[in-house]
Amino acid sequence: MDSRNGKITIVLVVLCVLLGGGYLAYAALGPNQTTTDARPQAGAAPTGVAVMVRAVDPTKPTLNGRVFVVEDGKVRRRSSDLACERVYYAAGRGICMGVAPSGVDYTAKVFDSNFQTVNTIDLTGLPSRARVSSDGHYGAMTVFVAGDSYLGNSTAFSTRTTILDMADGKQIGQLEQYKVTKDGKPFDAVDFNFWGVTFAKDPNRFYATLATGDHHYLVEGDIAAESMRVLRDGVECPSLSPDNRQIAYKSRIGTENRWRIHVLDVKTLNDHPVAENRSIDDQVEWLDNETLAYSDGTNVYTVPADGSGEAQLLVKDATSPVRLGR
Amino acid sequence: MYQVEASKALLKPRLWAGRAARLRVPRNVVMLGMVSLLTDVSSEMVATVLPLYLVFSLGASPLVFGAIDGTYGGAAALVQVASGFVSDRWRRPKGVAGLGYGLSAIGKVALVGAGNTIGGIGAIIAVDRVGKGIRTAPRDALISLSSAKDRLATSFGVHRAMDSVGAMLGPLVAFGILFVAPARFDAVFVVSTLFAVLGLAVLILNVDGRPQRLRRAERDEAAPDDDKAAPSFRAALGLVTAPRFAPVLLAAGLLSVASVSDAMIYVGLQRNLDFDPAVFPLLYVMTAIVFMGLAIPFGQLADRIGKVPVLLGGQALLFVTYGVLMMGSVGYGALVLCLLALGGYFAATEGVLTALAGTVLPEKLQASGIGLLITVTSLGRLASSLAFGGLWFAIGLQSAVICFVAALALAMMLAAPLLLRAQRASLDG
Repeated sequence: MDSRNGKITIVLVVLCVLLGGGYLAYAALGPNQTTTDARPQAGAAPTGVAVMVRAVDPTKPTLNGRVFVVEDGKVRRRSSDLACERVYYAAGRGICMGVAPSGVDYTAKVFDSNFQTVNTIDLTGLPSRARVSSDGHYGAMTVFVAGDSYLGNSTAFSTRTTILDMADGKQIGQLEQYKVTKDGKPFDAVDFNFWGVTFAKDPNRFYATLATGDHHYLVEGDIAAESMRVLRDGVECPSLSPDNRQIAYKSRIGTENRWRIHVLDVKTLNDHPVAENRSIDDQVEWLDNETLAYSDGTNVYTVPADGSGEAQLLVKDATSPVRLGR
Repeated sequence: MYQVEASKALLKPRLWAGRAARLRVPRNVVMLGMVSLLTDVSSEMVATVLPLYLVFSLGASPLVFGAIDGTYGGAAALVQVASGFVSDRWRRPKGVAGLGYGLSAIGKVALVGAGNTIGGIGAIIAVDRVGKGIRTAPRDALISLSSAKDRLATSFGVHRAMDSVGAMLGPLVAFGILFVAPARFDAVFVVSTLFAVLGLAVLILNVDGRPQRLRRAERDEAAPDDDKAAPSFRAALGLVTAPRFAPVLLAAGLLSVASVSDAMIYVGLQRNLDFDPAVFPLLYVMTAIVFMGLAIPFGQLADRIGKVPVLLGGQALLFVTYGVLMMGSVGYGALVLCLLALGGYFAATEGVLTALAGTVLPEKLQASGIGLLITVTSLGRLASSLAFGGLWFAIGLQSAVICFVAALALAMMLAAPLLLRAQRASLDG
């Protein structure tokens, strides 16, 4: 090729370096986004209900992911530097899964009632679900482990779910290593993935999702025995009601990544949908034995668990609802 | 003043040209390598941050991304055959490749502008995959047509090594940007767009679209006007039974079906060694580094001692990998050995196979043939993954690997005479 084209190329390289460098400098050093304490705003909340949520505002790095306590429609408290992608809390102990200070890794922080970090745990993937048993003894975390490839183009995701001792932040179990039984027989496959733990009143017992092939099984587990048994199919991200009689969960619509919230009876395993008719990808929280709270990714809503009524805004610009004051 | 600046600016291309001259690799191949390097930096940057972006900015689950990505894999295979044929038919490999690179660049621009809905991102990924499907066959045809037949494997080695440098740099650049400007995905997309545009510019400005071998072939056939016509669809389809190319196609299909994908191997290693899954990306990086280091020497070796021995030797390296998988609980030494063998296998097979196809294909059907070859091997790999996954599920990892050891041995025994016949034919021709 002639030297004229070579010169044009060099000019283009210089131009791109200047443009890219300039934009990056602007992004890194540009006008700092200011903090507003007004958000998240509470909607029509039932009186006496206190919830913890994480704020959603991707345009404000100083607000996004901060943990707020909202009670009777007002913001009571907020964390100053604790920023999370997923948060859960019970009996004085919370889990906050978020981006590490490096900006490229993820960590989970175990925090106390003053939003002070007690322990920090390195995560092996993208935060997905977090739960703490109602006595604050155990915690459970699910992360997505990416298998992206340089040479191939496989982008298969798998999940990892660990059980924590909330007192010292130590990992005490990994669901992938628990024994599983189905219809009384041992059950194992290469493609087992677990997610969405929910703890029972007896914190040694829990429920979770086991995915294999096209199936999403509801499993009931025992931490001390390191075992789980399959209860039924078609249940993702189970959430046990405070009285332990019902489970709210995501019910997949066909084979797509779209879900409706359903509630099942623990004794009969029969289920019914709730009045929320949009697709929801969240692990539902129970405000009391009759009311569910969940997020659509932007706001937190409530809906009656028995299928009646309609969805109502609980907190604007928030996700990860956690019922407080048990 | 002007002189100083100009000589500084020219220093880098000169260094590359110097290396290339020592390897006796045509400038056009180095430029195509540069195009791939820049484009790979661009797409790997986006691929690295897209799961984070989907989850944290759009509130989607990464599973959505997996579904989006997987859906278009099949469509890409069909696009490859079609784009290869169109590039031969129009006699414009550079134009068709440019269309593919252009589509991907447009996709990056769209990410900056409209990448804030899941549907929008799905469409953008689709455009990117189609772009990749379109450009691969005509680009490989250009590499092949730019090189002398006895230097073809070295040329492909240089191109593949540069390509993987880009794939390694992409995630580093993306993480670097997020480190400097946390959560500013827009900055990642803007820089990615600039890399894609630069790649396209290098293609348009510095790659010769009518390389030597193509021009000579056109001159030779200028006399009998019967042959002068652009290749027909029937001629392209005829490649499937062409006496020189069909054996290569068949052998490639056989070998790909008997080769376990790298992703499956990593999962198997993880099961055996029970290491932290956070180490997964490190396995890819280590394999890619081995690949990068060996692609050029293995290419040179293939040009010196013949492509078929290197190809079969590379395939045989997979036995080492299978052996480590079969041993069950092994140490970290075995893990390193396994990754060395896997990187060596990639370096000795993919580029060398394309080079072999380049020597046996007629000049005017290069892109069609290479498109067919890529499609056959990717379908073979898909079948292999399904079979290996099914066997693992049914009879366990060790038994599944034993099945694949037998399958690979059989495939190599069948493929060796086919490949040798093709290589002999290419020497005669």
